[in-house]
Amino acid sequence: MKPEEEVRKTRYQTYALVWVTLIILTGITLSAAGRELGGWTVLIALVIAGTKSGLVLNYFMHLRSERLTVFKVIIPLVLAVFLVFILLTFSDLAFRGGVK
Amino acid sequence: MTTTGAAESIRPRISFYENQGRHNGILAWILTQDHKRIGILYFIFVMAFFFSGVVLGFFMRLQMIAPGGAIMKPQTYNSLFTLHGIIMIFLVVIPAIPTIFGNFFLPIQIGARDVAFPRINLLSWWLYISGAAIVALSVFTGEGPPDTGWTFYTPYSLRTTVNVPLAVFGLFILGMSSILTGVNFVTTTHRLRAPGMTWHRLPLFVWAIYSTSWVQILATPVIGVTLALIMIERFFGVGVFDPAKGGDPILYQHMFWIYSHPATYIMILPAMGIVSDIIPVFARKKIFGYMAIAISGVAIAAVGSLVWGHHMFVSGQSDFAALLFSLLTFLVAIPSAIKVFNWVATLHKGSIVLEPPLLFCLAFIFLFSIGGLTGLIQGALAPNVHLHDTYWIPGHFHYIIFGGMGFGLFAAFHYWFPKMFGRMYNRKMAVWAWVIMLIGFNIFYFSMLLLGWEGMPRRYYDYLPQFRTLHLTATFGSWILVAGLIVMFANLFRGLFTGEKAKDNPWDASTLEWQIPSPPPTENFEEIPVIQRGPYDFKEFDQNG
Amino acid sequence: MDETTAFALEGQRDATGARLGMWLFILSEILLFGGLFILYSAYRYKNPVDFHHASRELDVILGTLNTIILLTSSLSMAASIAAIQRSQRKLSMVLLIATMALGLFFLLNKGFEWGAKMEHGIYPNAPTLLARAKGEILFFGLYYVMTGLHGLHVLVGVCVLLVMLILLSKGKVRSTHFTPLENSGLYWHLVDIIWIFLYPLFYLIS
Repeated sequence: MKPEEEVRKTRYQTYALVWVTLIILTGITLSAAGRELGGWTVLIALVIAGTKSGLVLNYFMHLRSERLTVFKVIIPLVLAVFLVFILLTFSDLAFRGGVK
Repeated sequence: MTTTGAAESIRPRISFYENQGRHNGILAWILTQDHKRIGILYFIFVMAFFFSGVVLGFFMRLQMIAPGGAIMKPQTYNSLFTLHGIIMIFLVVIPAIPTIFGNFFLPIQIGARDVAFPRINLLSWWLYISGAAIVALSVFTGEGPPDTGWTFYTPYSLRTTVNVPLAVFGLFILGMSSILTGVNFVTTTHRLRAPGMTWHRLPLFVWAIYSTSWVQILATPVIGVTLALIMIERFFGVGVFDPAKGGDPILYQHMFWIYSHPATYIMILPAMGIVSDIIPVFARKKIFGYMAIAISGVAIAAVGSLVWGHHMFVSGQSDFAALLFSLLTFLVAIPSAIKVFNWVATLHKGSIVLEPPLLFCLAFIFLFSIGGLTGLIQGALAPNVHLHDTYWIPGHFHYIIFGGMGFGLFAAFHYWFPKMFGRMYNRKMAVWAWVIMLIGFNIFYFSMLLLGWEGMPRRYYDYLPQFRTLHLTATFGSWILVAGLIVMFANLFRGLFTGEKAKDNPWDASTLEWQIPSPPPTENFEEIPVIQRGPYDFKEFDQNG
Repeated sequence: MDETTAFALEGQRDATGARLGMWLFILSEILLFGGLFILYSAYRYKNPVDFHHASRELDVILGTLNTIILLTSSLSMAASIAAIQRSQRKLSMVLLIATMALGLFFLLNKGFEWGAKMEHGIYPNAPTLLARAKGEILFFGLYYVMTGLHGLHVLVGVCVLLVMLILLSKGKVRSTHFTPLENSGLYWHLVDIIWIFLYPLFYLIS
């Protein structure tokens, strides 16, 4: 008999805590937008968005409690693919005038 | 392990063709959830589209048989090569091996009864048919079929008044079909392997389909959204690829090729998987470097997703990007070369059985190598300036796609025919077809390489007199090739109806599909097997089955 | 490479397999939007000032409200699954309805936003818009396409959740078989994640 799926029950409390963190992070990103941060603006916004997504992925979507290798691999994989696409595209866009 | 002997003759053999489920007649096929029936459904339609693509190509070559050729208007010629590309690429070459043979044999080769999501499998087929129907609609309605080339470059594709949105919508639907198939096959491979079927015991065809499925999942959405943007641009004037509104046509090309280059690996990897499965059987020898072939497939999928800019060397992208893409293009040749080396090494000192499946594989190796080497020449920046948009390019890709994937597909036909249909074709005729096709193919496409080298531009409906001899030769070659195709398909067709009944394992092969009846029963296996050896372990197989 | 129980036995549902399939589909959705994000980054890189300028016309309050709405809907979605795991069917359905309501609220806000923009003549191919700088045309083009595609996904999500609600009420989704609800949840959370990125990139670049 196939072993029963372990019932990974997350506590309601955990979900609530994650939600609070998400709201706080939203507040942070909102306030960061109001400031003059120059070149760092995009990076900070992306880092915060990335952190929020990480929380949703791991806790709301239960990625954290998945055991199999394939589940651990897929998000890093899709990020790597996206990164490669965007970097190679920018190797064109950012150097149209020639390499300095 | 083998199903031979007295037990078999007592038990009634009901093949998947005969088994009746909830539905009757045609509904039992178009509403089926049996992966084998779905494979046959794809077979019928993919071949129908292949024939229409060949007909289009035939007329293209007729137009080009002599300079000043006037059998059609220039606009018609533009639509012909556009449709030929769309049909061949999206309706035939990309889907063919995964949807026909992946569907039919992936579950069997891993020891499963079906794919992970049989209903989604059926949906994939319906999406394929719908997408194809919409593309067909674009040919016969409104102002007629697209004339942009299958690449739909902007801004022309945004301005031309022909049925671009309709055709592009059809392709969008086809993309959805491809993605769902990819999802199904990856999940199937992870979850439905029989006990003892470790990753290291999988047939290399499964490894190939598995790698391909990942590319289908990850790359197809990018062209999906790009095609959607063409429709949105044309209907709402958003401006994303329109220079008049600040859009960048080169960005369109990036987005287009980000899928369309990996798509060429969706085309070739399954064919390579077939070659990897066939050669050990007909060399009666374990494959040389199993892991190398498996991993090189993954490497091709990975590195192949980094080279798309080599379609754009002269489009206006930065020199830096051009250099990067050229370097990566050279790198991706390496895993392919590893495969060729390993196949040849497997043949070396093997007990060669020269049957049609092996012949088609040998042709694959020969033609694919030529295609690959020409790819290196055009992948170098300086030659590319001269060769881009000349006949060299279609010469190259027909060697790779038709010579590679096409002959791999024909190899699969001749290898798996007895299993799928329970009959054998005439082997002598198959060899004749092979000879005729090889001759016609090389006369045709080598002439193209030469034409391109001489500077003949592609997608032109007419040309200067200096190119006449090579064009005449190419058209002549195309006729021989078509003759060979006719002989091949006629032979297979006849074998379908009047061929002698095939044994369960006519090739004495050791992968799982050969251990069940020809044709297989609906459930594939009486009992799910327990695997104790590798897929090409002939010593083990000959002893213990 | 892989796992202990790699084979699904006859006649048994494979919840892990179903989940894997859903995740793979989600990967394809990520790359669908990913393509648009590539375009966004390319055009923002080329037109930083225009993008900054155009972004000021978006309503940060509405955008932030919508962000909070979706984050909260993710909470109710996750809780809905937790509830059915504990056989609390009524609670699960209530939470599911809350999720759907929040989704519809999101779409309502979006509708207002779009409506307001359109009244000011800011929509694709509008003469007012075309008279502006190229970068601004592109910004709003991407704004409509990306929030539009996202909104479409929210709408589809609400419909899927409606189906789940029906299945829950009929007991077809229950504590011993809640994979469809879990997979719907995965889809819903994805829609939330996409917005998590859309929000700062469109509303907060000034």
